Amino acid sequence: MNEILKTAKNCRHFAMCKIDFLGSGVCVSGLEKHYASFYPVGRMDLYAAIAENTIPVTEKCVEIADSCNLCGKCDYQCYYVNEMRPSKVMKALKDHIDAYLKSGGKIVNTEDDSILTEIKGIVGDYWATNDPAIRIAYHHDLCPHVTFKMPEYVVMPNSKEEISSIIKLLNKNKIPYVVRGNGASSHGLVFSEGAILDLSRMKTIDFDEKNWFVKVGPGIASFDLQQEAKKRGYRVHTAEPAALVCANIMTSGLLSLFSTTYGISADNYIDAEFIAKDGSFFRLNDITAPNLFSFQNSISDHEAFAICVSVSMKLHPVTDDESGILVPFQTLDSALDFAKDCARRHIGLAIGILGSEFISSFIAPTKKLAIEAKNIFINKLGMPFLVLLIGDTYALRSVREMGFPAIDQKLFKTIFQGLSSLKSAEWLSLLKGLSDDEPFSYLKLSQFAELAETALAPSPAQLTQDIDPDLRLFFEKLYSRPEMNDLVWLNTFRIQSSRCCRENPCVALVLYLPIDNSLIAEIQDGLRDIAEKYHLKNELGFITPIDNGKRCVWEYDYYFDHNDQAEVSSIQQATYEAGTLLDEYSVKTGTIRQVRYVVNQGCCRKENLLYL
Amino acid sequence: MFDNNKPIIALTGATGFLGSHLMASMLTGGYKIIVLGRPAKEETLQDRISKLLRWFGIEELAGQLEFVEIDFIKPMLGIPEAEYKNLCETTEQIIHCASDTSFSERKRDIVFKSNVTSLEGILEFAANAKVNFFHYISTSYVSGKNGTICKECLSSATEFLNVYEESKALAENIIGTYCENNSIPFTIIRPSIVYGDSHTGRSLRFNALYFPLQSVKYIKEIYLNDIINHGGKKSGQSGIFIDDEGYLFLPLRIYLPKEGALNLIPVDYFVNATMKIIDNATSGGIYHLTNNSPTKLEVISVYNEQFMKIKGVEIIYGKSADNALRNPAEELFDRFIEPYRDYLSDNRIFDRANTDLVTDNLHPPEFTDEIFKNCMEYAIRVNWGESVFATVNEKN
Repeated sequence: MNEILKTAKNCRHFAMCKIDFLGSGVCVSGLEKHYASFYPVGRMDLYAAIAENTIPVTEKCVEIADSCNLCGKCDYQCYYVNEMRPSKVMKALKDHIDAYLKSGGKIVNTEDDSILTEIKGIVGDYWATNDPAIRIAYHHDLCPHVTFKMPEYVVMPNSKEEISSIIKLLNKNKIPYVVRGNGASSHGLVFSEGAILDLSRMKTIDFDEKNWFVKVGPGIASFDLQQEAKKRGYRVHTAEPAALVCANIMTSGLLSLFSTTYGISADNYIDAEFIAKDGSFFRLNDITAPNLFSFQNSISDHEAFAICVSVSMKLHPVTDDESGILVPFQTLDSALDFAKDCARRHIGLAIGILGSEFISSFIAPTKKLAIEAKNIFINKLGMPFLVLLIGDTYALRSVREMGFPAIDQKLFKTIFQGLSSLKSAEWLSLLKGLSDDEPFSYLKLSQFAELAETALAPSPAQLTQDIDPDLRLFFEKLYSRPEMNDLVWLNTFRIQSSRCCRENPCVALVLYLPIDNSLIAEIQDGLRDIAEKYHLKNELGFITPIDNGKRCVWEYDYYFDHNDQAEVSSIQQATYEAGTLLDEYSVKTGTIRQVRYVVNQGCCRKENLLYL
Repeated sequence: MFDNNKPIIALTGATGFLGSHLMASMLTGGYKIIVLGRPAKEETLQDRISKLLRWFGIEELAGQLEFVEIDFIKPMLGIPEAEYKNLCETTEQIIHCASDTSFSERKRDIVFKSNVTSLEGILEFAANAKVNFFHYISTSYVSGKNGTICKECLSSATEFLNVYEESKALAENIIGTYCENNSIPFTIIRPSIVYGDSHTGRSLRFNALYFPLQSVKYIKEIYLNDIINHGGKKSGQSGIFIDDEGYLFLPLRIYLPKEGALNLIPVDYFVNATMKIIDNATSGGIYHLTNNSPTKLEVISVYNEQFMKIKGVEIIYGKSADNALRNPAEELFDRFIEPYRDYLSDNRIFDRANTDLVTDNLHPPEFTDEIFKNCMEYAIRVNWGESVFATVNEKN
């Protein structure tokens, strides 16, 4: 496989190229044409299909190739997340089509069938198609567990009325459909042989500040909503930045480090509007509405009960003294005790135990530096676990008074921007010796941050020294921006979270369970043993206390190479066994809930999910 | 070569600093040694010892060694009965050198488990083996924090500088009582602070004397790098600069509780003196392996000034650093030396009557500039112990 095709096939499908998370702009053709294939994420799929000759060159294919102006914005975005350069793929696509046409290749026209004609009558000619160049971007993702399906049609409605009409038509003609928010997919849940309804044109955000909520359309991504909320001095509880707010709430429910205070599932929203399977409308707050607050602890058929077309999200107040700290721990046990204690005492807004894999992937701008950072955290600093805590002045003061040494915002910026110097910092070996009496007691020295700054000489230039030379200046400027070093901003917008799959994609095993240290250790040992049996890299993702510190959300990750068939087989087997193990523990304890059983029940009442 | 006239010695702690040097010296002297110890995480006991033999350049004497992997806490040292019986029949003397040298209060349980609880098994072994001598390597600091004149007798101190001293004092008392009750001849050997070889500077362990100096070196490098590569703004703010002679002016005030000095002995003296004690000991003898000329920190500071090309180190006695306005380097350094602070200005005087009697007045050398230089050069060469075994193939 040549390098360009390899890049195309390595697209993680996180759709980060559809949001302006770096402030560098978004692909212009994507913003104008909306179909996934007009964004870099779709062009990657399209190029792979064209290069492997699985679809013909069609009208849309030519339009998609032509619409790319090779501006390079996708390089900034994708390099930030995955260290990949999609613009090479974009150029290869253009070159391929150009060469094809110059050599007299014919453009294949797709004919509209009667159904498509009727759909076009509802949404307009441009917004429904059966062109394979469009459909290809909706037919697969990296999930190792599903059989992918090529949809017959892709439709982009722009109102709930249009959606209603479309599904009535599809129902009448017995055509299956699934709804997508962002045109992206990562968990294998949104494939259909029938129609894909891509709702990403429905980008409405209506604030009702008097009543502390914001009504969000189904095409709004978390990042965009958070930006609007921030402008008004609020925070909304959102998930990964490119995830669509409505889809996320409905599918798995919102989870983040802020779940410690903002909660999960129905804690996050006030009301939602739906279109039922028969095309009728209802609001969750209607007295006759179906009970979507309920929860069944069994795997569903992955079919949504209804289509969510808006959700009214809570607006959370923000104080101007919020800051973040990282509290290091030598053992998971001690990290759990601390996190649990803080949650029970209501100290901090957001709390998360991060494994060294997560923290190093998040903060390092390159894979190479991430590996070095992980080694430094574990071996040189003796910090395999860090608890990230976001809070106001009083919360952070409480942590200090509890006696825990911590990496504060200033020191975090120093470590972050001085990451390249850390690997050669011989003086770190002395710090370990200082931890004999009290682990990490040097962090309590009033001038340690100052000394670290002198030693590491942190700067955006230093941080970016291993980045591709032609991108270095951009990233140097990027990392100079205050928010890129701000633990609060980074955790509110979560733009680094997709870096955890930079080396390889992962299957995240996510569960709710009591903060019972020995139970967590026991299950973790079991999950690790399974992964190691199949030679799969496996790591703790994060653990966040919820429900006043009674329970936690726990993510454990299995990594795999999606382009290696042997590893795909291994991950299938390993996740099957891990699922069985977790089922056994669920039955044995009666207190464990797995997020895979929450699918399409994400809007349920938290208490129904956790207690019943 | 193996000398049949020498007793067969069971040695614990052979993988440690003092134990390994004793082992090397005894092997060279023709002793047959049974190494009692544990494997490390990824190395067998034998592998660990082989590495040490290479470091000492005496691999050809490996034939004089026997290895028994034991667990001090378990009955019969955790080995099969037949093997235990055989071990008892073979062993003529025991040198108990294994010890946890941590000063950390947080590690109290671990330190006591290693230094005190584990005695039961090794003493029982001494009784079962009917050894003709049990030698215990202790420390001269068992006399507690209030002792100014320390006698060569069992300690009755109740207050100690740290958990290590406390555990060793208790261990000595347990050993004394047990050996007397069971008619086991015994000695207690009490070295002070042991550094590398006084002739070559070679060492296997780089704590105590070395750690503060390593700290100074790393702090110096931080500021030198700042000045040379980053314009020195941060250094300037702390009054740190390179002077006309090329020395780094590094204001580093070291606060010590009282006037005093470090009692330093080189490892070669420790070995030679211990061998003489083993050869000439009388039962119940307690021996201070200490230096009658302890070294003041000011002297070491002067040596170091030349060696590291730094100026500005100042020793302040009788004051606490708590209220002083300190630069970041001073604050960190102060934290680095905290566990060693009392040893840097120690005024305990050690009686050596027993020692002088059995060691033919063998005394440790004064800690000279040359010795300092040799030790530091070696420490830096092996990166303060990080690559100590990487230099095995170099000329010793």
